[in-house]
Amino acid sequence: MSASPSHFQQKMQNPLKSLGIRKKIGDFLNNTKFLNRSLSWYVTGWRVGVFWGLIALFLPQLLNFSTNFLDQTYFAPNILLLDAILCGIYVMLALGLNIVVGYAGLLDLGYVAFFVIGSYTVAFATSGIIRNIHSQVVNIPALTFWEAIPLAALIAGFMGVLLGAPTLRLRGDYLAIVTLGFGEIVPIVIKDVPFFYGALGFQVPPAPVVNTPFGQVDFGNPLDFSAFYYLTLAVIILIVMFNILLRNSSIGRAWIAIREDELAASASGVNLVRIKLMAFGLGAAIGGIGGVFNGVMTSSISYDQFSFQVSISVLIMIVLGGIGSIPGVIVGAILLRFIDVYVISTISNMLQTNTALANPSNPFHFLVSFNLNTTKFLIFGLVLLLMIILRPQGIIPNKRRQLELKGVGLAPEELSVIGEIEREEEGSSAPPESVEGLGDI
Amino acid sequence: MAGTSKGEVLLQLKNVTKSFGGLTAVDSINLEIRKGEIFSIIGPNGAGKTTVFNLITGIYQPTSGEIIFNGSSIKNLSPDRVLRRGIARTFQNIRLFNNMTIMENAMVGQHPFIPSDLFSVTFRLPNYRAAEKKAHNRALELLAFFGSELVMRKEEYAVNLAYAVRRRLEIVRALGSRPKLLLLDEPTAGMNDAETADAIKYIQRLRQEFDLTILLIEHKLQVTMGISDRIAVLDYGKKIAEGIPADIQHNDLVIEAYLGRKVEGA
Ligand SMILES: Nc1ncnc2c1ncn2[C@@H]1O[C@H](COP(=O)(O)OP(=O)(O)OP(=O)(O)O)[C@@H](O)[C@H]1O
Ligand SMILES: [Mg+2]
Repeated sequence: MSASPSHFQQKMQNPLKSLGIRKKIGDFLNNTKFLNRSLSWYVTGWRVGVFWGLIALFLPQLLNFSTNFLDQTYFAPNILLLDAILCGIYVMLALGLNIVVGYAGLLDLGYVAFFVIGSYTVAFATSGIIRNIHSQVVNIPALTFWEAIPLAALIAGFMGVLLGAPTLRLRGDYLAIVTLGFGEIVPIVIKDVPFFYGALGFQVPPAPVVNTPFGQVDFGNPLDFSAFYYLTLAVIILIVMFNILLRNSSIGRAWIAIREDELAASASGVNLVRIKLMAFGLGAAIGGIGGVFNGVMTSSISYDQFSFQVSISVLIMIVLGGIGSIPGVIVGAILLRFIDVYVISTISNMLQTNTALANPSNPFHFLVSFNLNTTKFLIFGLVLLLMIILRPQGIIPNKRRQLELKGVGLAPEELSVIGEIEREEEGSSAPPESVEGLGDI
Repeated sequence: MAGTSKGEVLLQLKNVTKSFGGLTAVDSINLEIRKGEIFSIIGPNGAGKTTVFNLITGIYQPTSGEIIFNGSSIKNLSPDRVLRRGIARTFQNIRLFNNMTIMENAMVGQHPFIPSDLFSVTFRLPNYRAAEKKAHNRALELLAFFGSELVMRKEEYAVNLAYAVRRRLEIVRALGSRPKLLLLDEPTAGMNDAETADAIKYIQRLRQEFDLTILLIEHKLQVTMGISDRIAVLDYGKKIAEGIPADIQHNDLVIEAYLGRKVEGA
């Protein structure tokens, strides 16, 4: 009895350290040799981007291969691929919101609005059905899925500018409240205006079959999502490239300048109206593209899928990953989706099926009926809180943000391996586009 | 000195008034700044000097009056449009972009000359790339105006710079827009004697090398008396005197504004 409490305390103080997980992984990576080099060589510096990039690239094959040794009831490749695609959609949203919040420093709590707009645009445009004000069905010329993508980006971008325009004079809290309102209004409009079939839900035609020189590719095949997965990946890569081009340009500099000091930026020739609307518009357009992918993927959309929780999730993703850092927000999005889809539901299942807990005399019996999914925002909140205490600059910090936080004496000086990686990464154009592979670890 | 010579008027303030609620910070001020001169505005704390700068640069809109630059009105223009007309400024309490590098600060200063439309930027069109390159070279030149320190440290973040150097970088940023008129708000505030002497030299060099007209707010009389062609004195928002340094030094109203208040306060 005398020894165990201190041992227990020790464990509580630093569970990770006492379990030695970090050390074990480190030792494994250092000691395992592949082609004359230790594995750790392959996953440091720019190579970490290549490593995860390759995993993203070959994810469908890896998942298929995993059926050789993993139980298919839990690791059905197609379902995991679906998770990866949905995760990819959140990566798009995180990259889009990162422009508004991360670069331009404009807090937008209503980002879900553009997600909705994208989803409904693809629904109407590809089905060719709308309703007039008398709720009568009207057929309009249907567009293809490929045409719907730029259309959704345009409409969402336009709506972003529309939201941005009246909020230009607002900053901080005030801007947050107005954008929050916008995010609430859009789903309500969809619910209550008959035109949108809001309360009923809207069927979205699946993604098309395309004839290529190498044969038919079915992007909408529900039995094999790999074609759609690659499409999602390609769009993410394009969005990443777009973000990098913007960040390292006169526009990116102006965004950071207004975030730093709006007045000084204006006195240096930055047209505040134009540059802010650009941030709102481009962020919204990317959100709209995310919406298109969401629309065809979930195939049936209705207003209640688009809540404030989506806006908050995306915001948590970028804060978690590192505001303003492209690899950061990608990792943040994947990590939060992983916690959301796998960790929370696994714990929830474990509680509900645990035989000891099933006994009514067990003091923790109430946990059986504890649905973690309804309290997941509590968990996200805790994750965020921990993050802000331990590592306010995010998992993969943006250099500048790190500096800002240091300026007010919040951030710990210590830079983790991941931080080092990011510093080496900055110049290269190969960030880890996607780390969907995390879903199987 | 070009003090009494009648040069072409570059900036003209006609009966400019600015009130904040009940407080009239600037009270029917008339000013004429001539091309090529160094013109100083002096006056006790709270006299309205910085407010005059804010009115000229479009940060505040005048309650009444007219501001004419280079022959056309710049009243009610936004700060970025005033800058594009050719008026750049620095701030009393240095407003650099602290978490941008020295180079980036100098580049933002040239924002008006670099295309920032989505198309040019995304596709890195030749005109965009040429403008970026030109701006980069110009930034190096401007940094070099202040010796090698800023050039050597160009990739460092502005937040790391010493106080006097931050003032210099703010001038570099302002020069980026190729202004005709440069407004310096207390450019030697917080500097020691050596740094002040240095600042006096480079302000004069600025006028020569960049063909500038300079409007200066300054508390230190050794600065204003030494380098100004003409001086205007503000007190409680009103212009109480104007003239060449020698006249201002012996003006009774000015002496009273500066010294009389001290007696009252004692
Ligand atoms: N935005 C504002 N709102 C209200 N009052 C203001 C504002 N800006 C300036 N004032 C007031 O106007 C008066 C003039 O201020 P200003 O900053 O122009 O003085 P100054 O001559 O630059 O003084 P200093 O030498 O201390 O810099 C002050 O009484 C100040 O409080
Ligand atoms: Mg002042």
